[in-house]
Amino acid sequence: MKKLLLPIFVLFFFILESLFVELFSPQLFNSDRIIVPHFLLVVLLFLTVYGGKKQGILYAAIFGLLFDIVYTEVIGIYFFLYPLIAYFVSKTMQLIHNHLVVVSLTSMVGIILLELGVYELNYLLKVTEMAFQTFLQERLYPTLILNLVFTILVSFPLKRQFDKYAEELRNE
Amino acid sequence: MPQFLSNKRLIILLVSIIILVALIGFSIREREKLTWPEQFIKDTTGWVQSAFSRPTNYVAGFFENVRDLQNTYEENKELKARLDELVQLEVDVQTLAKENKELREILDNKEDLSAFDPVQAIVVGRNPERWHELLVINKGKQDGIQQNMAVITANGLIGKVKSTSQFTSTIQLLSANDPTNRISAKIIGETETYGTIEGYDEERKLLKLKRLPYDAKIEKDQIVTTSGLGGVFPQNLPVGKVVEVVPDEFGLNQTAYVEPGADFYDIRHVMVVTVKTQAPDLSDITSEEEEEL
Repeated sequence: MKKLLLPIFVLFFFILESLFVELFSPQLFNSDRIIVPHFLLVVLLFLTVYGGKKQGILYAAIFGLLFDIVYTEVIGIYFFLYPLIAYFVSKTMQLIHNHLVVVSLTSMVGIILLELGVYELNYLLKVTEMAFQTFLQERLYPTLILNLVFTILVSFPLKRQFDKYAEELRNE
Repeated sequence: MPQFLSNKRLIILLVSIIILVALIGFSIREREKLTWPEQFIKDTTGWVQSAFSRPTNYVAGFFENVRDLQNTYEENKELKARLDELVQLEVDVQTLAKENKELREILDNKEDLSAFDPVQAIVVGRNPERWHELLVINKGKQDGIQQNMAVITANGLIGKVKSTSQFTSTIQLLSANDPTNRISAKIIGETETYGTIEGYDEERKLLKLKRLPYDAKIEKDQIVTTSGLGGVFPQNLPVGKVVEVVPDEFGLNQTAYVEPGADFYDIRHVMVVTVKTQAPDLSDITSEEEEEL
């Protein structure tokens, strides 16, 4: 991938999340469960693993801040959690072989961490009063299923793009 | 095994936690308006978002139209039946409107709580994380939108304007769990009963209309509208229908569960309600008092 195209590429997934919830209402799946797309985080984690750790964490911070300002209006939560999770994933990847399946599963763990972190912070800030059990059943499991499907679909093309990007960085 | 946290890393982590707390504290309080960097970012992303959401809306709209075609015949039948009632209703409305106008002239009462100008807007984004129920629309301060204005769809009230930037604004839906989000409403029955809409029952998908008098007789399916008493929202915007009435925890008031008329999910077009009548100027009041003296 061309170096300059990367921000536009990530921005596309940033907007895709909002388009997804706009178009696919929960009634469409015939349930009241809350399904949250975390496409942006998946892309950021793949970038961290295949494109370069520094790039990944930097992009995570920038898009986390953007997410906070544009979508939630509470600045700080995603700005803090995105880079933190990207950092932990990059550290974990040093311990295990970065096979595609392993990276996909690690990004699922990243999504669990993010959902838990955001839930705890929102619970502290009294944005939500959802009980932990309901949170797990109504929100976390369906969210994981959606994002797993997304990750399976995009993992291979993403890896190829970010490998090319990393090579370009090395050639400089 | 590499060390997860070296000293330097630990310091970075602690500093970022401090920044996190400071930023959250700064942004979660009730704010009159957004800072200019936030407004700038919102306007820019809003522009990009509308570039994406318009074509997708067209495509989604096309599929919806195809689905609508399937039950056109039955719908047509039903609508024709309603058309007969409509003529009668139209005559009634006209006579009532005329009567209302004449009575107002007699009373010399020009202020009307239910008068408003709607501003049409398109939804360009929605908060994907679903904790805060927020929408982004493509009209902002430049189109005369201000904080706390009511937002409606064809089926009823959906929320209020939370913040504005120059070209976009953010809407907080009624389904958001925000204790400061209170709307003065009334139940229309034989007599009008006033209360405030506070909170949303997430499990039952119903709005809670609290602070109703304990002796008010409220029945199922009575219509709930805004009362206009808050001074921010105009009168008679439809909200929904009463589903159930329960006494509140101390038995001093009643709480009605209201089924919202509008769908909080499939929202494409909204109208922002800008109130025509403003609160009287302080200068007007004082000058009148002086005259009396």
